[in-house]
Amino acid sequence: MMGWSVIAQTLVRRERWPGGQLISVTPLVAPGQDVLPDQPVMLLERGVSAQPADKNALQGSEVVPAGLRGRVIEITPRGGVVIEGRASAVRGALGAGNQVAGILTMWQPATAQGATVAIPPGAILVVPVPINLAFLRQAMVSGVVGVVASSMPLPDLEGFLNADVIELLHSINVEAVQTRLPPLTLLLTEGPGMFAMPAATAALLARCQGTIALLSGVTSVRQHIMPELLISLPPGDTPDGWHPVLPEPTISLGVQVRVCSGEHEGATGTVVYLFTHDQVFLSGIRVPAVCLRLENGSLLVVPLALIERII
Amino acid sequence: MYSQPQAEGGQGSGPANNAIPSPVSSILVADCGTVYTKVSLLGLVEGQYRLMARKEAPTTILPPYQDVMKGVIQAINAIEFITGRRFLAEERLITPEQPDGDGVDVFVATTSAGGPMRIMVLGAVTPEREQLVAQAVAGLYAEPHSMPSPSFMATSASTLELVSVGVAGAGAGAWTSERVALEWQRQVETFREIQPDVALVVGMADSPSGPAPLQEACQLLVNTARDTARQGAEEQVCAVIYAGAPQYVEAVKGMLRDVAEVKRAEPLTSQADLASISMVVGELYEYEIIPRIPGFDRLSRWTATSPVVTANSISSLARFLAQHYAMNVTAVDIGASATILMQAGENGDFIPMVNSGAGVGSNIGNILQRVGLQRIARWLPFAITEDELRQYVVNRSLHAQVLPTTVRELQIGYAFAREALILTVEAANERGFGWIHPDLILGTGGILSHAPKYGQAALVLLDALQPQGVTSLVLDRTMLIPQLGAVASVAPVAAVQVNENDAVTMRLGTCVVPYGDIPQGEIALRVGVEYTNGRQVTVDVRGGSIEVIPLRPSEQALLSLFPASAVDVGLGPGERAKAAEEIDGGLVGLIIDARGRPLVLPENNKERQARLLQWMQAMGA
Repeated sequence: MMGWSVIAQTLVRRERWPGGQLISVTPLVAPGQDVLPDQPVMLLERGVSAQPADKNALQGSEVVPAGLRGRVIEITPRGGVVIEGRASAVRGALGAGNQVAGILTMWQPATAQGATVAIPPGAILVVPVPINLAFLRQAMVSGVVGVVASSMPLPDLEGFLNADVIELLHSINVEAVQTRLPPLTLLLTEGPGMFAMPAATAALLARCQGTIALLSGVTSVRQHIMPELLISLPPGDTPDGWHPVLPEPTISLGVQVRVCSGEHEGATGTVVYLFTHDQVFLSGIRVPAVCLRLENGSLLVVPLALIERII
Repeated sequence: MYSQPQAEGGQGSGPANNAIPSPVSSILVADCGTVYTKVSLLGLVEGQYRLMARKEAPTTILPPYQDVMKGVIQAINAIEFITGRRFLAEERLITPEQPDGDGVDVFVATTSAGGPMRIMVLGAVTPEREQLVAQAVAGLYAEPHSMPSPSFMATSASTLELVSVGVAGAGAGAWTSERVALEWQRQVETFREIQPDVALVVGMADSPSGPAPLQEACQLLVNTARDTARQGAEEQVCAVIYAGAPQYVEAVKGMLRDVAEVKRAEPLTSQADLASISMVVGELYEYEIIPRIPGFDRLSRWTATSPVVTANSISSLARFLAQHYAMNVTAVDIGASATILMQAGENGDFIPMVNSGAGVGSNIGNILQRVGLQRIARWLPFAITEDELRQYVVNRSLHAQVLPTTVRELQIGYAFAREALILTVEAANERGFGWIHPDLILGTGGILSHAPKYGQAALVLLDALQPQGVTSLVLDRTMLIPQLGAVASVAPVAAVQVNENDAVTMRLGTCVVPYGDIPQGEIALRVGVEYTNGRQVTVDVRGGSIEVIPLRPSEQALLSLFPASAVDVGLGPGERAKAAEEIDGGLVGLIIDARGRPLVLPENNKERQARLLQWMQAMGA
């Protein structure tokens, strides 16, 4: 009922800001200028992290690409570049790490012969299945800047981040917290657990393979910030009559949803019936409910409050 | 059919300026919580104001919606569907009520969606002043932090025990100039970390460090503003309230000229000054924090008066009930992001407590962090691993709207609800507030109101509040309580009548709680019940148990209590009591809670779980 995981076409305005310990930031573009996703928009110099544990903190000059196709709206006082553009947006359930731009690359499992597909450094790796701690460590060693996966067990996630996720979610200074995390941005579309990515989300990401996307893993319950992946729409996909999809908070027949809690958590399907009267569940609660046809064809009745719209 | 959509500017020239027709025959009231927006339609039925319909929709302040009005409109649409009346035309409110029944005379709103206001107390912050500030903001959605000025810390170190935000952070030992410099640096970092909404400067310049703490507090704000400007932010660092020595007001204003407009409150020296601080902070919350809610402008334009902060609405109602019924009333609201405990005495005493960080939805993680696994697990009649509990907490933090579908989830939710309420009672105790023994406990908030069984809600209230003597329990199933305070501001008669007709009608029952030296396993209390129809029942209640004696909502009975020699029912150990007036029944019944006070749970897990199950069974929970 809350949330809206995938918005196929929307107008976004985001500040390009890589976060971290920065000594200087020099914008390379000006307001009014059109930019491409791979176009450098700022030059920055990183400092040594204040956190001794952060051995991976980068140092030296770095060119930051736009990550989005669009128009520069303003340069913020701190030097961030605000870009407005048309994009597809994937909202994650949980994530961590600063904003990064990279080439979307679908993960290919190793073949029976053990051969693996090379992952380009600087890629954002898309994994439509649950991942684990070992996978993330390997991804970091490979030079991947971001991972978009369906889910991972909470202990693995906390092991990788070396942090208490509950604390992270409630921290006050969100930007400062990100600097203490490993330099790999992570977005879990389904959140902690062992859930596969909904087919619609996986299909959208597969279609966008090879394009440059902008990924932010920052998640804060306190500040109402959720992780997101923005993929610029190709110029040909945005004709004159183009209009952004306006998310509606109501659930209607035919919409694709996921079950976000309870014994059926992670199940995805389509709404086939909205009950007129409240339904009773095992716990005894009597609440508005819907009937879903799951991806395996079976039917499931769940409280309206337990479903989230995927697309 | 004629209908008149209200212009977006309302009927007046600005927000909260809409004319209120007289008499008011219909009221729409929206309570915009952090997770759900509840809308109720109140109207006249046979000359009495009644709740006519109530619906809720998800609150839509978060992306991708970012407009509180979407949720309000969705809930109103649902009311239109069930009543067949039209309240909106092209997403505009039809007002006043039309001859054909469409439209509504008055629209009012309450909100708790603004989140807490972070307050940083600076200057000469003694533990006493820290306590006073905590008391002053106890009834507000506020989160106070303290940071005494370095010179004040240095001069006070030997005589005062300072308990604040990392006060000992700069290292122990003598206050050398290096240590003071380190402390300055640490304070700037802490200030940046906490990002307060308000800085409250306190101190009377009568400490050994003189006015230096006030000057340093200002200097900290100036330095932070300078740093912030260097990083490019345009907004002010935070609002500033000065509640320090009056002779330095102009100096402080001068120092902070380029930082923020300084609001004044009475110098904070004693409890007599709390009201002034409370008022200024409350105003700041109303004018600076609440308006940050996306879509708030439009909500304001719809309302007859400014949207009321939910906690204020509950406090108004609790005080009204205490006066109206001449009894001590405790109102409890366990919400997704905050827990509210309002105690109002029949003699006018009032103890407000808003625990902003303790909620059972998005803020559930705070509860686990504060109390730990064991305090949650102690309320569960089954074993649970830390992994399962953490997974539950992360899920609820990310999906605050979900409801429990299994009994296990339900019980975990109630365990957190108990601890949220216990933390709130503890917070009130830490502030030095007293405890008003309640004659009436009124429970509201999603987790209580949605309880599948009345006994479950009753048990949460009994376990967490642990009342003594004779108390009535009432459940606000309709979640109207947080709305009625706002209704009272425009239509007091409607608030009173709806309260009596619809809000506090779910009487769970009368609860008798003997205390003193309760003999566990032995008869602690003999209860004699004489029903109105003359039937008599005598029940022996053993120490450590709960018994529920059938007494339905429509029934009344005379009660006689015969406690064991060391057991007290309010008249002294062993003293018998016979009620002069009949007591009312309830949806649970007449509850005799002889578990003892304070409630002690068995340490052995299996024994504790068995005991919890017994109590739940007794309560029909």
